Amino acid sequence: MLSYVIRRILLVFPTLLGITVIVYFMIALAPGGIGANLLSSEGTMRPEERKAMQEYLNKRYALDKPVTVRYFHWLNRISPVGFTDKAEGKSAFGFKAPDFGESFIRRRPVGDLIRESLPITLLLNILSMPLIYALSILVGIRAAARRGGAFDKASSTLFLALWSFPVILAGTLAIGFLTNEKYVHWFPANGLHDILSDNMPFLPHHGANGWERGWLFDTAWHLVLPVLCLSYGSFAVLSKLSRGAILDNILADYARTARAKGVSEKAVLYRHVLRNSLLPLITVAAGILPELIGGAVIVETIFGLPGMGRLGVDAVRQKDLDLVLAVTIMGTLLGLVGNLIADIGYALADPRVSYD
Amino acid sequence: MTDAIATGSSPPADAAPRRSRSLYAQAIRELLTYWSARLGLAWIFLVVTAGVFSPFIASSHPIVWNYKGHWESPMLHNITQVDVVLVVLYFAVIVLALLRHVSLLVRLAIYVGILFMVIQLAYLLVRPPMNIDYSRYWQAEHAGDAQSVVRTIIPYSPSDRMLYATEFTQNLRPSRQFLLGTTENGEDVLSRMLHACRIASAIGFISTGISLVIGVIVGAFMGYFAGWLDLIGMRLIEMFEAIPTLILLITLVAIYGRSLYMIMIIIGLTGWTGKARFVRAEFLRLRNQDFVYAAQALGLPLWSVLFRHMLPNGLTPLLISVSFGVASAILSESTLSFLGLGPVDSPSWGQMLDQARGVGTSFHWWMAVFPGVAIFMTVFAYNMVGEALRDALDPKLLKRE
Repeated sequence: MLSYVIRRILLVFPTLLGITVIVYFMIALAPGGIGANLLSSEGTMRPEERKAMQEYLNKRYALDKPVTVRYFHWLNRISPVGFTDKAEGKSAFGFKAPDFGESFIRRRPVGDLIRESLPITLLLNILSMPLIYALSILVGIRAAARRGGAFDKASSTLFLALWSFPVILAGTLAIGFLTNEKYVHWFPANGLHDILSDNMPFLPHHGANGWERGWLFDTAWHLVLPVLCLSYGSFAVLSKLSRGAILDNILADYARTARAKGVSEKAVLYRHVLRNSLLPLITVAAGILPELIGGAVIVETIFGLPGMGRLGVDAVRQKDLDLVLAVTIMGTLLGLVGNLIADIGYALADPRVSYD
Repeated sequence: MTDAIATGSSPPADAAPRRSRSLYAQAIRELLTYWSARLGLAWIFLVVTAGVFSPFIASSHPIVWNYKGHWESPMLHNITQVDVVLVVLYFAVIVLALLRHVSLLVRLAIYVGILFMVIQLAYLLVRPPMNIDYSRYWQAEHAGDAQSVVRTIIPYSPSDRMLYATEFTQNLRPSRQFLLGTTENGEDVLSRMLHACRIASAIGFISTGISLVIGVIVGAFMGYFAGWLDLIGMRLIEMFEAIPTLILLITLVAIYGRSLYMIMIIIGLTGWTGKARFVRAEFLRLRNQDFVYAAQALGLPLWSVLFRHMLPNGLTPLLISVSFGVASAILSESTLSFLGLGPVDSPSWGQMLDQARGVGTSFHWWMAVFPGVAIFMTVFAYNMVGEALRDALDPKLLKRE
């Protein structure tokens, strides 16, 4: 078991390395390559400025070297383990701070920008994941327990419809109708906090102006719509899946044995069937996480949350290359970690998995 | 091959269906017994038809008019090469679908032949004017130069901002004149939506086609050769699947540009992994079967073994992933357009949805609801067809016959 987990963790590194190759060369093979956008402003510079800029970029991105050298140069820069330049022109190998470069538009280190925005994306995902699982298992049980009923019959089409419902439409409608004074103003339209949230006490309380919502409730209130928009698609997929999994198990021999022994239907469902039905749901978690991270891009853009997805979209719009690369790599890393957790979870949950 | 034999000694048309039908024909028949598939196919047909004929349904150019004593057709005069190609291909598909006696491969070859000829001819013969002046028609009518003007059902072009109109046409609610309202630039929403059918369908089909070609080739080689090639291929697929699709999409669009064809290629490049997985599994199963050994023993070239002998055996279930693939490609395109990274200069549902939120808190619901529902319905239709296909091809569920 432990050796399986270790081997599974070690497998992440070659995969990540492969992904850096894919991502970097896709970008480097573009017409003009990495340098095209960076040098595009040079026409407006004075000759000496332009020369200095060129030299700086050559040093930073190794633009005067062939593309493979550039790749290793870049990889060394972003990796936490690698060569560092010492003062005397020597280089040393060891741990170092990864350098994601600097955002050319925002004039700030990309590492800082990622560090500020990553927690918000993570928060969205961490809130959505349990919500999706809890609700979809409940709905799946309900549909499977009353199989053949009206709800069960309609559920297949309903889930498919829910899954097909575009997040961009759901988000736009939610913003347009639920956060608008012209219709109903139930939720705030933009951002993660109220403007005045810095002065709020942490918890809701009774103050001078009656009930005040406090920082925590304010944030939660801002997060309701984004989390809902992020979750419903995966919820539909998982509900359909959990219904199928429970149906597969509900008529299995072991369930029949339990019933024959006089175990109540409820206990059969929740103690015997549910456990075995959870296994396929754990496997899908690996596929859902990259989707959630992708969905976070849309949701953050619509609801104006300063997360990593929105940072990526802004970077793409402004052609801020270092930032685009960093967001892609970080998003992938999140997906890989999710995969890893799902695999380990599966090994923990199912003793039948072999670890050779 | 079975088709040819079957048609050679075919019984009367009204004979009962026999079990010797190919899996493909059987799947299609089975598919049409599902009401969800029928509804989905009907909606897809509507969207494709609207996309092909949009310049004849919604156009500011009159169909015919009598301009200073001459009969002219401004609509035909302004027709573009793409319009001609699409209309010809649309009818070619229908005619070829009706030619039951000809084998599928021959029909496909004829179709590709027509495609190339039409493109050549259209670009040789059709020369639409470079500058389009919509106000000309309005002025001619008001000056009394034009008589008996026959207009299309929706008399507005998608990019006609109606600057000549006496009243402002920006951000109008749905009304008698503009059935689904107007955009912030003063264009007719319904007209734009009809023309957007073209982009949606084109991106759906072409990018799925690209991903299908990549997936089939990669998957076929992986499954056929197995061993280390398979191992490397699987790692490659895992890597591609680990990158969140939307992030990969926006990155590639940022770097390779936003032209329509580039976006088709990019969406195709992000969707091939599932198909490759599928073909690989199928080929791993087939590679040890006798007919494959026979083909190898005959000394057939590799491509023939792979794509003429093995592929047709694993082709039908690919239809499922094609159907779901088109749905996700359309969704990707509308998401990209919504984020402001979609194809430039062409009306698209996602882009209109993005414009629904105007300045400040203003919200033009008609710009959100109508294009948004169009995206939803189209994606839903393709997904329903895919789901029905899955059921139709599921051997556990093959209860009829």
